[in-house]
Amino acid sequence: MRKWVSLIALAGVTSAVLAGCGSSGGSSEGSPAASSSASGASAAPSGSKSSGKAVELTFWGDWSGEGQKQFQTMVDAFNKSQDQIRVKYVVQQDLITKFLTAATSGGSPDIMLWDRWRTSLYAPKNVLHPVDDFLQKDGLNRDDFYGEALKELSYNGKLYGLPLTVDARALFYNKKLLTDAGVSAPPTNWQELEEAAVKTTKWDGSKLQVAGFSLGDNGLFNMYLQQAGGTMLTDDGKTNFNNDKGKAVLDYWDRLMNQDKVYKIGFEKGLGESTDAFATGKLAMTYTGPWMLTTYKKYGKDLDFGVVPPPAGPNGDKGAIMGGFGLVIPEASKHQQEAWEFIKWWTANKDNALLWAKTSLNIPGFKPAIEDPFFQDDPFWKPFLETLEFAKIRPQHPGYSVMETDALIPNLELFQQNKQSAEDTLKKAQQQGDKLLQDNAEAK
Amino acid sequence: MASYGKLTRHQSRTAYLFITPTMLLFLVFTVIPVVMALYLSFTNYDVLSRMKWVGTDNYKRLFGDVLYWTTFKNVAYYTVVFVPLNIALSLGLAMLFNFRRPGVRLFRAMSYMPTLTSAVAAATVWVWLLHPEYGLVNTMLGYVGVTGPAWLAQTETAMLSIILVTLWQTVGSNMIIYIAGLQGVPDYLYESAKLDGATAIGRFRYITWPQLRPTTFLVSTMSIIGALQLFDQAFVLTQGGPGNVTKTPVYLIYQQGFNQLQMGYASAQAFVLAIAILIFSLINMRVNKSEESVV
Repeated sequence: MRKWVSLIALAGVTSAVLAGCGSSGGSSEGSPAASSSASGASAAPSGSKSSGKAVELTFWGDWSGEGQKQFQTMVDAFNKSQDQIRVKYVVQQDLITKFLTAATSGGSPDIMLWDRWRTSLYAPKNVLHPVDDFLQKDGLNRDDFYGEALKELSYNGKLYGLPLTVDARALFYNKKLLTDAGVSAPPTNWQELEEAAVKTTKWDGSKLQVAGFSLGDNGLFNMYLQQAGGTMLTDDGKTNFNNDKGKAVLDYWDRLMNQDKVYKIGFEKGLGESTDAFATGKLAMTYTGPWMLTTYKKYGKDLDFGVVPPPAGPNGDKGAIMGGFGLVIPEASKHQQEAWEFIKWWTANKDNALLWAKTSLNIPGFKPAIEDPFFQDDPFWKPFLETLEFAKIRPQHPGYSVMETDALIPNLELFQQNKQSAEDTLKKAQQQGDKLLQDNAEAK
Repeated sequence: MASYGKLTRHQSRTAYLFITPTMLLFLVFTVIPVVMALYLSFTNYDVLSRMKWVGTDNYKRLFGDVLYWTTFKNVAYYTVVFVPLNIALSLGLAMLFNFRRPGVRLFRAMSYMPTLTSAVAAATVWVWLLHPEYGLVNTMLGYVGVTGPAWLAQTETAMLSIILVTLWQTVGSNMIIYIAGLQGVPDYLYESAKLDGATAIGRFRYITWPQLRPTTFLVSTMSIIGALQLFDQAFVLTQGGPGNVTKTPVYLIYQQGFNQLQMGYASAQAFVLAIAILIFSLINMRVNKSEESVV
């Protein structure tokens, strides 16, 4: 008897913990944080019945701190420009989770900051409102936007928002380290990159003092594969790297890591902004995005650096990955027309897009704004603009990110630590990757 | 007789009244979500647009999900190393700090400190300490001529590092529980054992350890549950890498449910995890003979 009592008690504990960990089983009910903030936000858009009063819109994003100030600048400028619509920015730390609750149980925002790659997963669920009709009615020209960014916001021929920012990684190089090592010009292809990396690397016994080139981010495989002339997925949604293109990338990495020894596993791990390896001269060259420009410029004279587009592969193929954010209108919003007015004002108007660019130091998705001297005459922006000309978005498959993080990258890590040959790595990544793509493909 | 029955009825009514708030909360926040999750695990629920019955499809898929079983292997390894070490260390510390000497409170407080810091903040600091080139750990090793590994980036040491960091953070609270347990052991037992000429080891073996059985059961059960649900430290320290050796079931459940919107499948995964916890806890009960009384 006692035994059974304790067993039941144990089951109680287990299940309580299960419900506590949360998120896992219990789904949306009983998550007080989510519901309270949702109701807090829903208070805003209610005062819109009478036509004389301004329509109040809620804009959700997960940018806080500096980002929040930047958004606020834009929101204030919009509110001042007319008196029909009042927008309010609300920071949601856990944006996507909050949206899941709001999209189904009320309190949906009217405008939302959107990590564009999520479109292929969410658009099929009919929670985002297509903007094609708005676009046509207002006579906006699709060619004014970065095509790849629009593609990433589209699903099944429908467009679900407009691009707010576009970014891509380019090669940052430390001018002083390169000159000291006798490298006259930044690399333009794999060969030159390797030579420059070898020359700038410095070892002190078993301690790596200066790494010539960062191999810390395996997630860049996609970019290297493009440079080798390959693509990540086939048209029918299978992995496409277990071939000589993928092999070329791994051989190149292997040469840099194990023969040239220009990098060491874990070299940059855990270095925060204050000890960033590139900023402190411990790393000569690295791939990173425009978001690091502000940080690196803060070092002033101590860090003399330049940026060039990613070096081309063995056959001259160029490759870069475009990412960035968009603004979308949830299907559950009650003021979609007004929300569109706000999005259009911000992302499809040269002056406002430029104001946004200067406020936040992001590249806007609206091309006419890029023509401004602010971008064209700046040696740091120019290489990014060149890179964006050939940058491609990640494949639009709902299972793509899972494939990358759970199948491809783990195998690449084993490869980099010499635990697995290049052939095995590609084969296993293909097998596991295809399975994950298939398991996460359904998008109905 | 009749009045006696009336009294019990009155008493039991009052008793039910008293436990009602707790039971209601338990029902709303535990029983209903768990039953819902069980139901969801047989559907293709995606939070947003559908909730259709799919029978045992999720469980069939789970069976062939290599990654899910890998994460199970990871936490099983973690549990097997972590739980005994946790008990040994916290009991050792507790016995050390159970002496009534000046300054012992200070030491107690100091070993409890790590428990007070947030898991994520502490893990972030450890990422720093464990840095291969500039971290404190490898710098110290460097003084004695050893080139330390890239603790968090190498497959051999990644899980070990997580075990050590979580140990550092959890022994403090278990130590407190053990100190309480030790202070509940009656002095006369030790006294008579000493009179009979028992050695210190003998006294520990035959008095302290058996007397602490309920405490050990509590500590081990809580550590097992915590270990199998490992998430935040592992996530901050290694993000599941390298080569998937530190990915945990809770990480996958979160990813499937909230990133991939496959809440039905995630619920199935969560249920299998719950069953695994139950099994581990049952084994633990057997090992501890927890249902036998302590004398």
